Amino acid sequence: MTAVLLPAGHDQPVLAPTPRRGDRLRMALSRFGAAPMLLFWLVIVGILVLPIVLFLVVAVSPRLMDQGSQWFTLAGFRQAFTGQLLRGSINSLFVGAVSAVVATAIGFGVAWAVIRTDVPGRRLWAGSMYALLLAPSYLVALGWQRLLEPMGVLDLMGLHPGGFRTLFYGPFGVIVVLTLKGVPFSYLAVSAALRGLGEEFEVAARVHGASRAGSLRIVLSLLAPAMWSALAIVFAESISDFGVADTLANAAHFPIATYTLYNAIDSFPVSFPVAASVGWVLMAMAGLALAAQARALRGRSYRVLGGRSRPPRLARLSAAKKYEISTALVLLMVIALGVPVFGAVSASLINGLGSLVGNHTLTLANYRRVFDSSALRGPLFYSARLALVTATLTVAMAVISARMLAGRGGRLGARVLDLMLLTAVALPGIVFAAGYIFTYNLRFVNNLGLHLYETTPLLVLGYLATALPSTTRVLFGPIGQVQNSLQEAARVHGSGAAHSWMRTVLPVLARPLIAAWVLTFAGTLLELPVSELLYPPNHPPVSIGITHALANYDYGGGTAMEVIAVLFSLTVVALVWGAFRLLAPAGWRRLGKATA
Amino acid sequence: MTHARRRAATAAIVSVSAALLAAGCSSSSKPAASATTVAASSNTAAAASSTTKVPLVVYSAQGYDSAVTKAFQAATGIPVSLDDDSTGPLLTKIAAERNNPQWGVLWVDGDTAFASLDKQGQLADYLPPVTFTAAGQALIPSDHSYTPTGTTLMAALIYNAAKVTQVPASYQDLLNPTYKGLIGMNDPSQSGPTYPFIAGVMNQLGGESGGVAAGESYFTQLKANGLKVFPTNGDTLHALETGQIDMGLIQSSAATGELLKAPKSSSFDPKIVYLPKPTLLPGVIGIDKAAPAGEQAEAQQFIQYVLSPAGQKVMQGGDPTGDSLYYPVVSGVDPLSTVPTFPTAYQRIDPYFWGPLENQVNTWFDTNIK
Repeated sequence: MTAVLLPAGHDQPVLAPTPRRGDRLRMALSRFGAAPMLLFWLVIVGILVLPIVLFLVVAVSPRLMDQGSQWFTLAGFRQAFTGQLLRGSINSLFVGAVSAVVATAIGFGVAWAVIRTDVPGRRLWAGSMYALLLAPSYLVALGWQRLLEPMGVLDLMGLHPGGFRTLFYGPFGVIVVLTLKGVPFSYLAVSAALRGLGEEFEVAARVHGASRAGSLRIVLSLLAPAMWSALAIVFAESISDFGVADTLANAAHFPIATYTLYNAIDSFPVSFPVAASVGWVLMAMAGLALAAQARALRGRSYRVLGGRSRPPRLARLSAAKKYEISTALVLLMVIALGVPVFGAVSASLINGLGSLVGNHTLTLANYRRVFDSSALRGPLFYSARLALVTATLTVAMAVISARMLAGRGGRLGARVLDLMLLTAVALPGIVFAAGYIFTYNLRFVNNLGLHLYETTPLLVLGYLATALPSTTRVLFGPIGQVQNSLQEAARVHGSGAAHSWMRTVLPVLARPLIAAWVLTFAGTLLELPVSELLYPPNHPPVSIGITHALANYDYGGGTAMEVIAVLFSLTVVALVWGAFRLLAPAGWRRLGKATA
Repeated sequence: MTHARRRAATAAIVSVSAALLAAGCSSSSKPAASATTVAASSNTAAAASSTTKVPLVVYSAQGYDSAVTKAFQAATGIPVSLDDDSTGPLLTKIAAERNNPQWGVLWVDGDTAFASLDKQGQLADYLPPVTFTAAGQALIPSDHSYTPTGTTLMAALIYNAAKVTQVPASYQDLLNPTYKGLIGMNDPSQSGPTYPFIAGVMNQLGGESGGVAAGESYFTQLKANGLKVFPTNGDTLHALETGQIDMGLIQSSAATGELLKAPKSSSFDPKIVYLPKPTLLPGVIGIDKAAPAGEQAEAQQFIQYVLSPAGQKVMQGGDPTGDSLYYPVVSGVDPLSTVPTFPTAYQRIDPYFWGPLENQVNTWFDTNIK
């Protein structure tokens, strides 16, 4: 028995009933109720806040990190707003905005066709979106280059693309590739929301006399969080993309902010203050996206996903419409996937493609070389393990992050988190990695016994930090739609917090969670910029192996490695979705599955 | 009391979690961490070095570095942690590590970066007990802050003899309208060896006093004659192979490697010529002054090994179609038979003068030539 303090108004002490063992445990645990969130914020500070702040502060105080003699200066900003650096920032803003709008529109169109119509091959188109996610932007750009370059595939076929080559090697080509890379992000964000939306809102509108266009407007309004999410993701991903900047844009002498920034620290003399200043500019651009998103969604509720949500019926298309939509989807996939796949596979199979040398015959020699070489097998399995851990950690963190961001009321914590996530998206990976070196190579950090620099755990943390923002954005739409009443009802009926979440929220989020996991796994497997600076010596990830081969002019070996890595990634994706179909409860699989 | 205890308990959980995270992460710390620990007890490092072999951390961009470090480890028993990467990322890491350096040895092509590190007081002086060739002696700085281990030349003019019948004999010849639109070179802000080439042309045309202006004038004329700029050696070679250009100004080892790798055909017959005067581009080793004394001593042993006949043999076998195609700078060692004859006329530029101008010249090149 336990004596308790008297409530006001009681004259005599009373004895509280003896709590059961389970109650005591629950009470004990409740004391640590805030600990998980504190741990979450501790990780956020460790992987996002400190590296970003320590990197950005160098722009105004180089001395702080031994990057110059001045405690305070604006010299870096002066350079960032002149010459090529200024041009790069303006170009980034332009291509980012255009790519975001076009990719969101295309992503919405694809999502609508796949989820709400009976267009043929819907699973194929949905799978193609994932396949496009697996290809890093530099592979897409290189595929196009293999096709268009002098003595490339088209030249060998006698189709000389002179005018189109000139057009593509410039802003047009950069926007095309960034848009194509943005489409799956926008598709994932919109399709997840579209699946949860059901059709009752459209039906209600039509019943009350709304035209087809009027009901579509309602749908678009209800999808606003996902659409704005898609715009923000694609814009931030585009302005922070390094793959296209390093390949196509660079070859076209079209400077982009990420490349000018990278150049500031990759070429001698290394200038972190200038790079950090450009980082501020990129961060400001990402802030614009955040402000636009917040302004558009302020004060509104988009909670439409509940236990009574029903899958929508598929719209039956006429034969002509099916043909038109199918043709558009085929064209999109040929441009987005066909060209880079053809470029990579042909380069890996043809002896001397793109060159005057070699006999241009088909050969498997490049693949044999790769399989015989432990230099690839090791990195591939190493990267696979890292991707597995990173994807799992990222999804767990992203669920919490998306939940915070989706909360109404604009709490300070959510705003700070949103800002940090968007900043992390806007900063190119390689510079972000530099922030990790600043942070985890500090003497006092070492003196605390924290020796993370040049270790696998730091590489995983770097991957986590770069994957978390986009994964959070992908989950933001679906989680924003989950009605609190689902979990609250379970709690009222006596279920614990974790148990009720597992029984009510997890089933409706299973698909988006798996989609997010797969996305992160694939992205991490071939991640390059963070790996470049943070990989532990003697343990190169597969992306480093590929780039080393390409840098040594081994186009055949390098592209063979690419093809194998992408096939491996596709296999994992297929296994995960296959396991979901076989093992998940029927109810989990039913939600979001369109009826025929 | 309740709130206080809850806060205390929460803080305890967070602390324990952080400690576990730290412990979990640090359990796989690399040897560099051990080296840092040694640094903390620098007073005893020298004494310890005689009995304890600390890991030697080698940052290198050389194609033969893996073979050399393995051979060195086998020969001396000194454990080596090799960080093999391109020159750019390695210099980025060294700059980022400035307040807590982790490297013991840096081994890359080009001495301008070493001159800068020397000016910042980051290099330990050392002169290995070997006899250098004339070119090697020219490359050694007066304060012995770094050591050349071999040299390439910048630039070699690689041309497609199947198309070029009249071979240029000087830099002025490249301005001839005959070669309009046929010449390519690398981008100095992306290709490490290319700034020394540009600085070398400037030095040749106007010396240290008027070289920048004379060089800018020359490259402006070259651009007017259709100069094409590609990112790196590999891209310029690719442009040569694909017929975008007929001549490329690139690093001698890359040009020689192309001759070895690319089979001749009726339409592609690569050959090399050195236009007077090519500039020496040495492979250079520097020792981190902030490294523990024991590691510095091992770094000196590493340099001695690299310059020994055994070390040179490993260097020449480690990357036979790439970086191994260098000109030795120690007496008694011949280059590989596939390497073209070393030119009689060459120049060495002062990295302490031209190094600080790199940003200015590259920015000008970016804006006006690219």
